[in-house]
Amino acid sequence: MIITNNPLVAEKYENVLWTDGSVEKTLIIVRDFIHQGYELVSHPLAASLRMLFSPYRSIIINNKKEKLNFEHAQIIEDSIIKYKKHMDLRKTDEKTRDDYKKIDLLLLEAALSEEKGKWY
Amino acid sequence: MKLEIGRIYIKDIQLGNETSVKNGVLTVDKTSLIAKLKEDDRIKDVKIDIAKPGDKVRIIPVKDVIEPRVKISGGNNGFPGVTAKPAQCGEGRTHVLYGAAIVTVGDIVGFQEGVIDMWGEGAKWTPFSQTYNLTVDINVVDGIDPHTHEETVRLAGLRAAEFVGQAGKDITPDEVLTYEMGSIFEESNKYPNLPKVLYAEMMITQGLLHDTYIYGVNAQTILPALLHANEELDNAVISGNCVAACDKITTYQHQNNSTILDLYAQHGKEINFMGCIMVPEHTTLAGKMRASDYTRKLVKMLGADAVVVSEEGYGNPDSALLIICKKCEKEGVKTVLITDECAGRDGMSQPLADTAAEAVAVVSGGNVSHVVTLPPADKVIGNAEAIAVLAGGWEGALLEDGSLQCELNAVIGSTSEIGYHNVTCRLY
Repeated sequence: MIITNNPLVAEKYENVLWTDGSVEKTLIIVRDFIHQGYELVSHPLAASLRMLFSPYRSIIINNKKEKLNFEHAQIIEDSIIKYKKHMDLRKTDEKTRDDYKKIDLLLLEAALSEEKGKWY
Repeated sequence: MKLEIGRIYIKDIQLGNETSVKNGVLTVDKTSLIAKLKEDDRIKDVKIDIAKPGDKVRIIPVKDVIEPRVKISGGNNGFPGVTAKPAQCGEGRTHVLYGAAIVTVGDIVGFQEGVIDMWGEGAKWTPFSQTYNLTVDINVVDGIDPHTHEETVRLAGLRAAEFVGQAGKDITPDEVLTYEMGSIFEESNKYPNLPKVLYAEMMITQGLLHDTYIYGVNAQTILPALLHANEELDNAVISGNCVAACDKITTYQHQNNSTILDLYAQHGKEINFMGCIMVPEHTTLAGKMRASDYTRKLVKMLGADAVVVSEEGYGNPDSALLIICKKCEKEGVKTVLITDECAGRDGMSQPLADTAAEAVAVVSGGNVSHVVTLPPADKVIGNAEAIAVLAGGWEGALLEDGSLQCELNAVIGSTSEIGYHNVTCRLY
């Protein structure tokens, strides 16, 4: 399942949980799923500080497991702390939000392509 | 494998009617270069300009920086697998226009920043304020998709570097550096008592604007690959990454990877430098586990005593860096990390997105959150509107006198995680 606040992702893909909230809200939804036993497929954070300015973020999670994955719970908790720490001082880049929408979609698709042909 | 790098010192740059080097002055035939680049029908318009150290010039948004070179013997000219047919890099002789750089400019997305100031405060923070820069500003035809746009600009920069590099073909270099290393067994026999050290170079490989290529292969698709230390120094690795301005590894920095050069300098003295493992940085957790397992396996298979790991980017790559660290340290392999810090304006916050008890030897390339004040430029090469992107991080960044405040994050190469930059570490 893809958890996203990016409307382009919601339009293009099925199995999406879309929120009209912020990136922080999106991360918190992901955290709640991880606490229920779902696992992260893609990392909650992007690969550069500039992408932290993005108003959009899409994260892939896997099927529910019997046990909580503590490592993944740690990753999502740390990511939320880190994200909040950064964005307390900065603001999302609204002027180029359409570009961020596109790049978020393309980075998501690169992650999906890594996961093709797998069953676990 | 033996590589000779012949450095031709460049002391000035100008545009003219021929492409040549005379008495250290690089002249570039602008018309022929534009014609050459426009052979690619995806390019609508090319603007060529020059920027010299000390000029009150700002270049923004920078996509990549490339060192112009020409192959004299061995392999193929240019970038094998990309601008030339595949060939072995790292052998023979290569002439370098040392002190010159090709800087590609152009918006692919609106939020690119990437600034080079050639003078004043800004110049202190980027190594590319000290190079004689030929800027190549690429405008693509309408209706092109973002992947094709990025590829077009990337190739134009590499082809421009190849074109300009030809000027060094018949010139006697001012200095010749030799990089020679035998097989792992030969070197281990030669230096049986020296610790065996590998270099694991992580590369952003996560999709558009976040890619790296080895011999033209998108490294997102590879398992960690073992390279001879000479290959990257000889055009095997190129950057397709144009977002993390401060800590992305430009193609120029790959060509002059300071970590490789420093390890080479200690080879046979303090260490036995065995080579480089190129490690993809995936965005998926499965990819991070696979790449880290494979890196550990190569380190063990090759019998290394120590590994130096450098990162590219910030955020999810921090996790991958520390996973590699944990796995190698648990195998008893001494692991040194090179990263940069996002430690707040005062430098006092936790520097990485992740931490690990095993990370006991960490070298910092600088604090990306450090704030610098950049005065107005006399001339802007590229897109002056992109300056607003620089100031877009927080309120009040644009000052009354036209200066702007930005974080080092926006300055090209300012906090390099392979050490090719101006910032250093100090213990106190």
